[in-house]
Amino acid sequence: MVKKISIILAIAVAAMLPTIWTNPYYVHLMVIIGIYSILLLGLDIVVGYVGEVSLGHAALFGIGSYTAGVLNFQLGVPFLLAVPASIAVTAFFGAILALPALRVNGPYLAMVTLAFGTIIQILINEMTFLTNGPMGLSIRKPVFFGHQITGADYYYIVLVALVLTLFCVQRILKSHLGRAFEALHDSPVASDCMGVSVYGYKVYAFVLSAGIAGLAGSLFTYSEEYISPNTYNFELTILFLLAVIMGGRKTRIGPLLGAIIIVMLPNVLSDIELFRKISVGIAVFSVAYSAYAVVAGQRTLKQVTLPLLVTIGLAVSGYVMDNITDQRLTIFGVMILFVVYYLPNGIMGFLRSIVQRVRPQWIHRHELVLEHGDKHHIWSVPDHPVSARGFLLEARNIVMQFGGLKALNEVNLEVAKGTVHGLIGPNGSGKSTMMNVLTGIYKPTAGEIEFNGKIITGASPSFIAGEGIARTFQNVQLFGEMTAIENVLVGLHHTYRHSLIDVLFHTPRCRREKLAARMRAASLLKFVGLDELANEEARNLPYGKQRLLEIARALALNPSLLLLDEPAAGLTAPDIKELIVMINKIRGHGITVILIEHHMDVVMSICDTVTVLDFGQKIAEGTPANIQSDEKVIEAYLGGTAAAA
Amino acid sequence: MEILAQLVVSGIALGMIYALIAFGYQLTFATSSTLNFGQGEALMLGSLVGLTLVGHMSYWLMLPLVIVFGALQGVFVERVGVLPALKTKSEFGWIMTTISLAIIFKNVAENIWGHDDLTFPSPLPTDPLQFFGIRVLPMEIMIVVGALAIMLAVELFNRKSIYGKAVVATSNDRDAAGLMGINTGLVITFSYALSSLTAAFAGVLVAPLTLTGSTMGVVLGLKAFSVAIIGGLNSGMGVIVGGLILGIAETTTGYYISTGYKDVPGLVLLLLVLSIKPAGMFGKSVIKKV
Repeated sequence: MVKKISIILAIAVAAMLPTIWTNPYYVHLMVIIGIYSILLLGLDIVVGYVGEVSLGHAALFGIGSYTAGVLNFQLGVPFLLAVPASIAVTAFFGAILALPALRVNGPYLAMVTLAFGTIIQILINEMTFLTNGPMGLSIRKPVFFGHQITGADYYYIVLVALVLTLFCVQRILKSHLGRAFEALHDSPVASDCMGVSVYGYKVYAFVLSAGIAGLAGSLFTYSEEYISPNTYNFELTILFLLAVIMGGRKTRIGPLLGAIIIVMLPNVLSDIELFRKISVGIAVFSVAYSAYAVVAGQRTLKQVTLPLLVTIGLAVSGYVMDNITDQRLTIFGVMILFVVYYLPNGIMGFLRSIVQRVRPQWIHRHELVLEHGDKHHIWSVPDHPVSARGFLLEARNIVMQFGGLKALNEVNLEVAKGTVHGLIGPNGSGKSTMMNVLTGIYKPTAGEIEFNGKIITGASPSFIAGEGIARTFQNVQLFGEMTAIENVLVGLHHTYRHSLIDVLFHTPRCRREKLAARMRAASLLKFVGLDELANEEARNLPYGKQRLLEIARALALNPSLLLLDEPAAGLTAPDIKELIVMINKIRGHGITVILIEHHMDVVMSICDTVTVLDFGQKIAEGTPANIQSDEKVIEAYLGGTAAAA
Repeated sequence: MEILAQLVVSGIALGMIYALIAFGYQLTFATSSTLNFGQGEALMLGSLVGLTLVGHMSYWLMLPLVIVFGALQGVFVERVGVLPALKTKSEFGWIMTTISLAIIFKNVAENIWGHDDLTFPSPLPTDPLQFFGIRVLPMEIMIVVGALAIMLAVELFNRKSIYGKAVVATSNDRDAAGLMGINTGLVITFSYALSSLTAAFAGVLVAPLTLTGSTMGVVLGLKAFSVAIIGGLNSGMGVIVGGLILGIAETTTGYYISTGYKDVPGLVLLLLVLSIKPAGMFGKSVIKKV
């Protein structure tokens, strides 16, 4: 309630601003701040949530600008059509870039987006017949009902667009889509195995972000009334990135702050007196804060020396030089360095950490989920019903080669429906490799896998997960920064069938599915005994509990086959007993289980069939009793031959 | 036909420059899995410092000084931009810091040497030599020879000397090399010094042919990255082939289509290679273990 009132108040204040600063120059600055804020909200989806560096957003902004500009200049398309067209065209270009580029990540992606930006700038310059080349395009602000929109009127148009964008971005990021973006950043492998395709959702995020950049670009065209190719250069891209990280990633206010900073900065730099005042202010603040941090023991003197010298140097340089504008880029560069090293969570993150120290109850990093699970909501039917007659899973002649090493050599594995199938073998025998081949993380060098009557060899992990194979990981792969229940909700991603439109309008369908998923997630947590820890961040759970959480998350996929990779590792003896009960219950509900385990008592007590691997080859298969007396198995585990002993 | 042959020859010289910068990317990527986004700026600084020095001394005396300058500049980038980010294991961190150092260098260069392109006096005669009717500039021959020589020198150092072995060991497995007593931090710093050194050297090689100026770095760095990707970030032979492909593609595009579009093929090639074979044409793809 307090939040709603403060948002309405903030909008009201923003609407009042042009009556306070009536100077057209200030109004124009505020319009630019609004337009940049829109773009930065979109950029934050890629940089903050998906965690990739995009150096192509100035180009996307340019595509949006030029789409509106060209449509209006060449064809006379009206404002209300040109703006949506810009969004669509820019989103389309975003997709063209994202489809090849997002196969790679990190530095590769940064370079590819930079290349894209350069190409777009060249194209705008060279395609004179469309864009008028370096001469640029001139257009007028729109006319509504015979009224020529003025600069002050335009402020309100941008304000409406900004509020709408804020609202939409907030809804998207708080929905299952936003959760998917965070999950793929946190642990890409686990997302893929939960059916959340990393590649697919990265492209999704990028296209959304591009569409928003297109909106910002088209608004920019009408605001400036003149556009030319040089605006959309590398410097603008750097400014956008600076704004996002300085304001604070993964917040809605951060982009607004960032936009204010990058729009006001050139003005501050051109006014040397103002620059001197502000830089001295910053220097005084940083001296005071560093003194506090050193005295309070949060930082050592050595840690604060360099940033102190930089800020004091900045203040001194203001008095040495009479013209700061030429040093603009150096100052941006120093600011980026400063933010990356000393303010990694931006201004908003910094303010948050202060508030958290004083009033921890005001900061909610995660939405609390208070639903109580029960026994009726644990189980659900698989998305693809089991139709196979004989074996649920058949792996034929699987070879997996790493260089010269054959980690799996002509292995056959048949898993019967409704059984618990043990997979054992000494360390390095190829068990986990088998898991990774079955779930699509590795593409086998040769061989064929048939699951539920379908050949799945070579399919992507997210596709295989969608077909009904869920797994846990030997070295736990949870989404560490999410709460336990959010982890399970990522597993339930496939139950959200509603579209982006449903998310934006909060349709009954969207609310229904959301509620059902929460109920289900709470019940699954109760099943593995973690209901008390639902709102705890996964990385804070003890190791054994993390393994149980992985099982709950895997069950959320409604699998017909569950792969458990050493679930008992790190569990205490009583916990292991509970685990056995749990696995039996899972089998009781018709889910076939493949179990990799080193605790032989667990394997022998619950498995119907056991397969033994050694050096990538299957050396034995049969009932637990047969396996225990098999000579080859004894040899593999104890060394030497049974006969010699 | 003669024109095409002429374009190919010019393309080869240009391509070797790209190969040399791309080689610099490989050096740092091998030891630390990081790239200097300011590689182009290292080249630009090298060539501008060379231009200033050449006013006071001969070209040949200037060469070693520029090489030393390049190495120091590389050490600076590593200490300020890369080392702190490596400590916090932040990929986002070093991408942003090397970019910001790049724009700082560019800005400083603009303020010292101005915005305009400057001519660089050629140390060799500027009259072209004739081979079967194809004109070749002596400087073009020097570029090819110089680029190959410095790449060869680095390769020999890595293969033959004990310090080189430390570099190779660090590239193979940084943690294991560290446990064997190799100061991997120093090796990474060294690789940055080598990398900026080759870029600065490339700068003074190419400057007499083209022009030099504070803005020359960005596009060169980007196109060399295309070359590094086309060739593969772990293939020495790859960058030479990639460089030649790109160099020839550019001179022919510039002649047959329009000089305005001459930067496009390299960038399009980059997008294509990444979408078809991200490890590069000569690179080995690495399977990530789970």
